[in-house]
Amino acid sequence: MSHQGVGDWLYDTQISTTLRDVDWVIPSVQCVHILAIAVLIGSALVTDLRLAGVLATDENPATVVRRYLPWMWRALVVLLLTGTVLIVAEPARTLANTVFWSKMALVLIAFVLTLLFRKPILNPQFRVEHSAWAAAAKPLAWVSLFIWVAIIFCGRWIAYT
Amino acid sequence: MPVSLDSVFQALYESSIAQTIRQNDSAFPWIESLHVLAITLVFGTISIVDLRLMGYPSHRRGARQLIIDLLPFTWGAFGLAVVTGSLLFISNAVAYSHNAQFQYKMLAMVAAGINMAIFHLTAYRRIGDWDDVRSPPLSAKLAGFSSLVFWVLVICFGRWIGFTISAFF
Repeated sequence: MSHQGVGDWLYDTQISTTLRDVDWVIPSVQCVHILAIAVLIGSALVTDLRLAGVLATDENPATVVRRYLPWMWRALVVLLLTGTVLIVAEPARTLANTVFWSKMALVLIAFVLTLLFRKPILNPQFRVEHSAWAAAAKPLAWVSLFIWVAIIFCGRWIAYT
Repeated sequence: MPVSLDSVFQALYESSIAQTIRQNDSAFPWIESLHVLAITLVFGTISIVDLRLMGYPSHRRGARQLIIDLLPFTWGAFGLAVVTGSLLFISNAVAYSHNAQFQYKMLAMVAAGINMAIFHLTAYRRIGDWDDVRSPPLSAKLAGFSSLVFWVLVICFGRWIGFTISAFF
């Protein structure tokens, strides 16, 4: 089935209709979605700037990651749940939208980057500066921060494309 | 002759910069995207400090150094939010000024500002006494909690403006 087909089928389901008919649902869910991305970008900012050697350099990277990584995962879960509600409520707005799929690709990349380059730092034996990707740690921190920013931009542009 | 607020907003609406924003289809979305980025950075950084004030540990023990670490980012992002927000506002100034959610949002920001001023004039003056204490005094906890509530309200009212603003342009 094409995007169009899935979208049309979803649009006609009872749950999709209900989500649209109750007029406070979409704005409220969007508020939670924005609050969650705020928590995520705040956590990403501090962690990435620490790993880039800009912020809180007197603190161990592991301490910083340990404080913020769980919040990034929690925020991501909330984002996926509220995002799913928004897709179900307005399938045509998202599923047929190139910006939406670009955003999803960026989310996937950001997720993999976070998993591969943040999680190992939680291990007390691990030292970023002695790791195989030590040289890439700083550029990767900037890349990952930039991707989250791009995700926020894509999110707003979904409404205009 | 007294100048009514509406005539001020009407003049802003007719300004050349507001006209440019209205005439260029992609100007509003770009400014709005920057505005969303700015507000998420404001909330993302200030909530870390607010939670620390409420007793939730941060990436460092000392509350004072945490505030010094993050405040430049909060202020920088807030500056960007004000500049982009002003541009969005003037593009449709009269309608925004009459929008209830917009007015509530401004009130919530004023409340956040007053809350911050009170914190800086009271608990922050004695931060040397509780800097390294895991659980700060009640006045600091209240300031942190109030700040969180006000900024959540700012974001929610802000998002709601988009659903309630009367016919665009």
